[in-house]
Amino acid sequence: MTEENYRHVYVVIEHIDGKILPVSLEMLGEARRLFDDFNARYSSNEKIVAVILGNNIKDFSKELIEYGADAVVCADHPELKDLRNTIHTKVISQIALDKEIASRIEPDYAKEFKKPRYIFFAADSIGRHLSSTVLVELESGLASDINKLVIHDMTVTHQIKTEGKPTLFKKTLEMYRPDFSGFLWTTILCLNNTTPSIKREYYPQGCSIIPGVFEPIKPDPKRSGEIIFYEPKIEENDLKVKVLSHKIVKSEVDFEIRKAVVSFGRGIKDAPDENIKLVVELAKQLDAEIGISLPISKKLLPASQAISSTYMIPARVIGTSGSKISPMLYVAIGISGAMQHIAGMQDSEFVVAINPDENSPIKNECDIFINGRMEDVIPLLVEELKKQQQVVQAG
Amino acid sequence: MEPLNLAVIVKLEPDFSEGNVSYKPDGTLNRNETKSTLGPHSGIAAKAAFYAKVRYGAKISVCSMGPPWADIALQQAQQTCDADVLHLYSDRIFAGADTLATAETLKTGIEKMQGKMDIVFSGHRASDGETGQTGPQTAWKLGFTFIGNVISYDVNLEKRTVVAKCLLTLNGVPNVIEEIEAPLPVFLTIDPSYKSNFTTVSQRIAFEKYQKEAYERARNFKQSLKVFNIDELGVDKTLVGLAGSPTIVYQVERIPKGKATRQAEVFDGSNSEHIRKVVAKMREALSAMVIK
Repeated sequence: MTEENYRHVYVVIEHIDGKILPVSLEMLGEARRLFDDFNARYSSNEKIVAVILGNNIKDFSKELIEYGADAVVCADHPELKDLRNTIHTKVISQIALDKEIASRIEPDYAKEFKKPRYIFFAADSIGRHLSSTVLVELESGLASDINKLVIHDMTVTHQIKTEGKPTLFKKTLEMYRPDFSGFLWTTILCLNNTTPSIKREYYPQGCSIIPGVFEPIKPDPKRSGEIIFYEPKIEENDLKVKVLSHKIVKSEVDFEIRKAVVSFGRGIKDAPDENIKLVVELAKQLDAEIGISLPISKKLLPASQAISSTYMIPARVIGTSGSKISPMLYVAIGISGAMQHIAGMQDSEFVVAINPDENSPIKNECDIFINGRMEDVIPLLVEELKKQQQVVQAG
Repeated sequence: MEPLNLAVIVKLEPDFSEGNVSYKPDGTLNRNETKSTLGPHSGIAAKAAFYAKVRYGAKISVCSMGPPWADIALQQAQQTCDADVLHLYSDRIFAGADTLATAETLKTGIEKMQGKMDIVFSGHRASDGETGQTGPQTAWKLGFTFIGNVISYDVNLEKRTVVAKCLLTLNGVPNVIEEIEAPLPVFLTIDPSYKSNFTTVSQRIAFEKYQKEAYERARNFKQSLKVFNIDELGVDKTLVGLAGSPTIVYQVERIPKGKATRQAEVFDGSNSEHIRKVVAKMREALSAMVIK
């Protein structure tokens, strides 16, 4: 086998309640940028293949092409109306392995086609699990929560995979994932085993991509592409799994309706309960919604049940693993400014940070940096806000 | 009716709670100085299994892949769910496994457990690796129906089915709660917001009884513990550890600091004149007419 058996990037599209999720268009955008460069560098003609499953979804195909797909594989079937892991996993895998589809995508590569070269999913409640099961079915590797992708030829030496010998791996996808702290980047590679005793080819190289990281391309109504309808093979036994109900739930947190957002981070740690109460008081004065940094949502700081279940919850997280917001005023309290947080707040109009450490990265991302401990600064701010408010009312 | 046969997959993880976690000056985790504990999401999975024990009666086995000292994670899980059996898969060959190779080890272990499993539970994701892939990948290898993001569930013992409520959080659209029915066996990953609802007096009495039993068992957890090396587990050596891992960690680097996007004006938080100016600017920002 050679790497010529593996062609194209397949992008698994998500949609819910009649709408394509933004992350799917973002993935197409990044795939477009990567593959325009890829095809130029390697003088090839590999394609971006959008894969979409559902019922009455034919109309999505055109939109996916406008956003960068060269081909759309559309499995439109009443039994695909609901998302059921087993059925979806099998149908995506059928599509990925189908030679007939491959020949419609690009006839020149059809003869030797075995599997996709790369496959992208969204790192959300749907894609995270689908990517996991599909990559087991396709017997290959998967990296999760990626926010940067690079493709090039790499020489890698690995004790087990290459018997310690430097080995060239062509067209390798470098998958970068930020770690939980937001300060480290881990590069993950999905590589064949070349060591004879464990020889194995691992394709597609798979990843799940963090929503909100990549930009979609500007949709172009003139773009053309191949639309391929696929008749899925669904096993009777898998239909025993049923989605009984599907309800949209309103979050108790709404960043959109407020002009201001006040967020806190690990800086509350000396007295979580008392400090969060201070933050709440400041938010009240500013009529602001309350946000948090990612580590706070992990409930690792001791706080009372009432405070913790109201404020230390994932719905309040600002950043790549939470909400991306753009209020008129953003106040960051005790937040150091990890990249993953910055990505969620950098579009704010005006940013104030309260932090005792002038070297923390948040200083580069704010308009006003108040040097001090929140315990000392917030009461002064609250008092001054009340005072200036009164002046306005009196005037 | 047969009692339920349950398994829980848990993981030993760095203890990120304040006082136990240690960070290097550059903000990254200092693994040598940080203690280890049962991962918080694993703890929630154990809690979810305990619910079935109290509600329906069940035999629970807890398993983990990890170093010999990961037995403390099993002990902690036993105290949460009153497990009857603890399995630790521990061998140097397992080290360095990615999620696919880890799933192979766990699948082999679960298939080795006594009786056919009805439900396997795992956490939402680990707090150190954070991939959230190991659960669904183990499920697929077992051939069990996978249901993720479970916030509550109930079992119908006669029909041998489970009905689970699942929370989908998606970017750019409101969250969705789905109710899914599936025949046993199933594999559930438990959402952090999972809650066990014990409603009747008899459930609460059973809860207390099993909790006491769990405490006793956990005190003598080694009596329930069996450690398997690779030969005892009988797993294909080429499918586990580094040999069975498609992916490798190629390098770890500091994320470069972004260029300063704003030029901060620095104010002294203890200077009342400074505070007055800051508040004036904040109010100005809020009153600005923004034309978009």
